[in-house]
Amino acid sequence: MTPSATSLTDRASREWFLFRFSWHMQDFPQKQYRQIKRDLRRELTTAGADVGMRRVVADLGRPRTLADGYLAELGRPVPRWTTGIVAAGLAIGFIVYLGLAYALGAIDALEATGGGSITMHPFGAEMVITNTPEEISLVSSANIAGLVFSVGVGLVAFVLGSRAWRVLR
Amino acid sequence: MPDRDPQLLKGVLPMLVLLLLTEDESYGYELVTRLQADGLTDIAAGTVYPVLARLEREGHVSSRLVASSSGPARKYYRPTADGAAGLATALRGWDHLSDTVRAVLDRAATPKEQ
Repeated sequence: MTPSATSLTDRASREWFLFRFSWHMQDFPQKQYRQIKRDLRRELTTAGADVGMRRVVADLGRPRTLADGYLAELGRPVPRWTTGIVAAGLAIGFIVYLGLAYALGAIDALEATGGGSITMHPFGAEMVITNTPEEISLVSSANIAGLVFSVGVGLVAFVLGSRAWRVLR
Repeated sequence: MPDRDPQLLKGVLPMLVLLLLTEDESYGYELVTRLQADGLTDIAAGTVYPVLARLEREGHVSSRLVASSSGPARKYYRPTADGAAGLATALRGWDHLSDTVRAVLDRAATPKEQ
């Protein structure tokens, strides 16, 4: 018998489900995940042809709940690397934000005191701020202390966010 | 149908899956419909697939691909020797647990003599 073709709508519905499922399975061991995704695509395609893709997708429930089911069946907690990367990005972004807010505040302060130039060291990084009638500038140069601080904060956020210690279990 | 705590089913689902696959090999969605036909009408495919994946990963079921008229080949599952042994152990555990629970329930249902 010739396999029946899956309609474009059904394929779109299947792939949209798998895409959302993939998002929640990012931290699953990749080799096993690839097999699971292959099996799911196969099941969706064949069962969808039997009873309709809409019903099969509905039977699977929410992609996140399904992913949680697979994670629970692993029998051990896994590190959440994606969450760790997001946490590290947010932490470093927050430091940059604080540094900029600090610099803008200093520019305003310089203006209020008649202008001039000042050198500061927020979070260990050297920052030269100038506010004169001729020039408003902010020059920051990386140094070891600033780099260590930023990387350190990012690393701590990454370890805590990813629950990296789970890799030891 | 009375409400059922999902945790009650979670504990015995691998046993039921192995039991049904012992009766007859099945592909994933068919297995779900068989469980539903046996009375677990509210069970979802999303509950069964992760259990199947674990049983296969642990070597309790094996699979083979069978050509299908409705698209790609279907993946049929059947218990391995390890799965059969695991099922026997699970059934003994279940019998013991259900006997114990039944005894406690019966005692609780019997009015105490004053």
